[in-house]
Amino acid sequence: MISLATRQRVDELVTRYPEKRSALIPILHEVQAEAGHLSAAAIEWVAGYLSLSPADVMSVASFYDMLEMEPVGTHMIYVCQNLTCAMLGAEKLIRHLEGRLGIRMGETTPDGKITLRRMECLAACGAAPAIQVDGEYHDQMTPEKLDALLDTLQARSNR
Amino acid sequence: MPTLMINGVEIVTPGPMSILEAARGAGIEIPHYCYHPGLSVVGQCRMCQVEVEKMPKLATACNTAAAEGMVVSTNSSRVEKARRAVLEFYLLNHPLDCAVCDRGGECPLQDYTLKYGPGESRSVEPKVQRAKHKVLGPHVVFDAERCILCTRCVRFCHEVPKTGELGVFSRGERSEINLFPGKLLDNAYSGNVIDLCPVGALTSRQYRFQSRPWDLVRQIESVCPLCSNGCNVVLDVRNRQQRDELLRIRPRENPAVNRWWMCDEGRFGFGYLYAAERLRVAYGREEGGQVPVAVDELTGRVADTVRRIVQAHGEGAIGCVVSSRHTNEELFLVRRFFLDILRTPHLDYRVRPVQSEETDASEDGILRRTDKTPNSRGARDLAILPGQDGLDVKGMIAAAQAGRLKALFVFEEDLVRELPDLPVREALSRLDLLVTSSLVPNETTALAHVVLPALATAEKDGSLTNFQGRIQKIRRALAPPGACRSLAEILQDVARRLGWDLGDIEPERVWAAIGEQSGPYRGIGWKEWRAIGPQGLLPEELRAASREPRPERHES
Amino acid sequence: MSFEKVLTRYQDIPGYTGTLDAYEAQGGYQALRKALKEMQPAEIIEAVKRSGLRGRGGAGFPCGVKWGFIPKDSPKPVYLVVNGDESEPGTFKDRMLIEEEPHQILEGIVLASYAIGCHQAFLYCRGEFVRGARMLRRALDEAYAKGYIGRRILGSGFDLEVVLHRGAGAYICGEETGLLESLEGKRGQPRPKPPFPAISGLYRCPTVVNNVETLSNIPHILLRGPEWYAGIGPAKSTGPRLFSVSGHVERPGNYELPMSVTLRQLIFEHAGGIRGGRRLKAVIPGGSSSPVLTEQHLDVGMDFDSLAAAGSMGGSGAVIVMDDTTCMVRVGEIVSRFYHHESCGQCTQCREGTAWLHKTLRRIEHGQGREADLDLLLDMCDNMKGKTICVLSDAAAMPIESYLEHFRDEFERHVRERACPFGEGSGD
Repeated sequence: MISLATRQRVDELVTRYPEKRSALIPILHEVQAEAGHLSAAAIEWVAGYLSLSPADVMSVASFYDMLEMEPVGTHMIYVCQNLTCAMLGAEKLIRHLEGRLGIRMGETTPDGKITLRRMECLAACGAAPAIQVDGEYHDQMTPEKLDALLDTLQARSNR
Repeated sequence: MPTLMINGVEIVTPGPMSILEAARGAGIEIPHYCYHPGLSVVGQCRMCQVEVEKMPKLATACNTAAAEGMVVSTNSSRVEKARRAVLEFYLLNHPLDCAVCDRGGECPLQDYTLKYGPGESRSVEPKVQRAKHKVLGPHVVFDAERCILCTRCVRFCHEVPKTGELGVFSRGERSEINLFPGKLLDNAYSGNVIDLCPVGALTSRQYRFQSRPWDLVRQIESVCPLCSNGCNVVLDVRNRQQRDELLRIRPRENPAVNRWWMCDEGRFGFGYLYAAERLRVAYGREEGGQVPVAVDELTGRVADTVRRIVQAHGEGAIGCVVSSRHTNEELFLVRRFFLDILRTPHLDYRVRPVQSEETDASEDGILRRTDKTPNSRGARDLAILPGQDGLDVKGMIAAAQAGRLKALFVFEEDLVRELPDLPVREALSRLDLLVTSSLVPNETTALAHVVLPALATAEKDGSLTNFQGRIQKIRRALAPPGACRSLAEILQDVARRLGWDLGDIEPERVWAAIGEQSGPYRGIGWKEWRAIGPQGLLPEELRAASREPRPERHES
Repeated sequence: MSFEKVLTRYQDIPGYTGTLDAYEAQGGYQALRKALKEMQPAEIIEAVKRSGLRGRGGAGFPCGVKWGFIPKDSPKPVYLVVNGDESEPGTFKDRMLIEEEPHQILEGIVLASYAIGCHQAFLYCRGEFVRGARMLRRALDEAYAKGYIGRRILGSGFDLEVVLHRGAGAYICGEETGLLESLEGKRGQPRPKPPFPAISGLYRCPTVVNNVETLSNIPHILLRGPEWYAGIGPAKSTGPRLFSVSGHVERPGNYELPMSVTLRQLIFEHAGGIRGGRRLKAVIPGGSSSPVLTEQHLDVGMDFDSLAAAGSMGGSGAVIVMDDTTCMVRVGEIVSRFYHHESCGQCTQCREGTAWLHKTLRRIEHGQGREADLDLLLDMCDNMKGKTICVLSDAAAMPIESYLEHFRDEFERHVRERACPFGEGSGD
């Protein structure tokens, strides 16, 4: 179920720490990278690997915003909704995204390509309003720049 | 041994401990939820805040060490305001379920709110809705709205059975305790979370909607009879029209025996008290088979037969197998009847290999033990063993098979089922007299001339000795169904018909005689037995306290 | 004021890539060479104490003093944990240092480890900093290859391993002990203190937790001397500080300045003043956890003590500037929404209080506030302060108290007019 390559990376991660439980979150990142989210089976696998109960691992995973327990789209768009970005137009961006994609924040487009998430401060306040797309920052966003971005994403994705 | 002041009361602590523990030891209540003496300390509910002189902030009593010279207040206005605020925060989203919640009437959230909390709500926000009455496993049902996230249940499952089925998922206000999808809360100790939960979030499926605590007429302190650990329990009994009913069993705290816990089998497994098959009357064998017969009639028959057998074949033609399910008092009287008065050496309790000291072991490293009878240790301590040249259980079966044993008394053991490798049926069928007692009819009672209905542990007074040697009292919580009479009464009846006397048969009085005998219980007379408290007694504890030598004669 | 940059002098080098070669070319790793050859660990701790360096993560605790708390003869391993989990709203200077000058941080890590006797350091990088983690990984590989990290560093007897560890999205993991819990593979729930990390930290061993900007100062203190460092800025808030300025200013960005700079200078001289020529209404001077300041406070020095005296705090050095188009109730709604989302949920007052605070403010902003709500908010805040395992609860409460203190009339207008006077979506 977990690919060999991921398994090897996981084996290596555990060796870095004096106590192997410390590797849990890095391992969850690795496993999530494979399928886009953490299925119950994946969590159970990690639990077995680290000799923890599945509930324990799920308790940790569900604490963190970047770890997804449900399937998500191919592309993740995080929109910062915190103070400076809100002051400089984040809600307008959000309305634009929701309008263009036909979904609310927190949801995934029916074709499974894009998931929208409200996030808290992304540490890009100097270039607000900021978003993060698949880990990459995009600064000083406007509805027009969003349109260009979405055009690129939808062209690129081939699910 | 730090000495500190709490609310103006000087407290000398016996050793290092938290302020909360010091207060508890001195009988001062500091309200708390997440703290439990049997679990790790997390200090997160914030209920146990107290004011400590020289500390600028309030301290949580559960994880602040009691220090020499500390001056603590648990009821200053600062503490009262902070505590009221914590309760107000809890009540923001807590559903108004009291009317339908099993915890009502024995609920620390109700109790603390009444004592320390706000009388009205200041919130106009809609309460957060969550899953309700979600079955977690065979015994426990969960209501996420009521949960106050003290995490006792989560910590319990990780720390005691170490099965870790429960976890807190998500964070902040969205936090919710739950199972991993597809899993069940089914460890052997799952019922303990019901006791631990301070609110009605985790409740018993068995007890659901059965009663209010004020409807329980009796809450009897006793001991669980399902293995040799002897977990201390409370039996909660409710009055019903037809008869009183045992509704619930809970553990009692005993640091030496079961700490705060008990296993699910003992907690929930009392249905046998009410089994339809339960014997309610005595049976005697007649032409057509086994028919109900009055006990008086049966004891007469038994006495006559015993007299005849002794005259024809001697005392050695009679034997007795008595189960270690019986109390110390019953076992002692059985020994007196057979070994001392009838003078047969054939007496034993050891039906299963696991009943010996060497083989009875912990079954799961927690509380359950492999010997599923509660009083093998008592049987050993009271020497319920073959006398000089006496036969053990296997020997008695062989002797019965060979026709040398003419009468056998089998008290509460189904020998046919327990000894499948021996020709038990054959052997028992050859007896002139087979007297049995049992809770329910079985393959052994089916062969008997006399079948006596037995009393369950919850239906008698007496004591049991657990595997550690601890003498613990059981107390009668219920009347038995039908015409069950105690084994002691029946033996006394038979004895009298034979011209003998067993002496005093009331449990307490029996100890006058037990204390006279040599053995581990020497010196434990009825006064000492009466003084045994709810935590039981190890004979060496008694001897450690200096005592006068006992007088020769009985005390009346 | 023109100030000779220290931490960000690389910005004046055209085409600077932040590679090891580039870092060395501008003097990087000289401090490490010097320290390993000429200084004992105790001397380094002394030097940092004399420099007056205070933590740059938010608490402002004297760095050398913190290092000094590590027991000298501990049988347990000593750990250095680097806090790269920048999440305080308004702050974006650590991310810059991580992405653009990672070797400066690494040099600081090696020096700090040497000083406290740590042989395995953990660099906790915020999960969202994907590029940052890549830059740190590259820098670590370069440093290992060059022998600045690893066994027998630069021929000395000092061994150090540095483990890069990514977080996964939780503000509370920026709290010292929340970070340690997260690093141990658990929920990032802060621990009760005492015990403090210097005694019982990572794996219950003596631990120092330092912010990335704090550590970036160490090479400079050791190379140019603590007296030079202490001469920068006010006596009790020494050294250069990175201020992240954002909001309604012409030139938002990170500004490296001594803490003698005033708020007025920072906003109007360095950041270009209020955008569009509008008027300043309010300033948050130290990240969203800090109480708000107004026009009357503009001449406060940006050092820890002056800001505290003015009723706020230095915090993370994040300055959020709001002009007169800003609705302060909406600011309260957004700020409280953050803490509602980020509370770890352990303590009752924080778990329930951050939610209640947010819901009440949201209601007021949307025109459904009641008279009683304003004093209710203040009592809520009072009940949330000073009574929890960590100070997230205080961080949620104190700003709201300050908005009510300085802008109560705005809240009252929302209640009276049953609507936001600034209109829906102010500031967009």
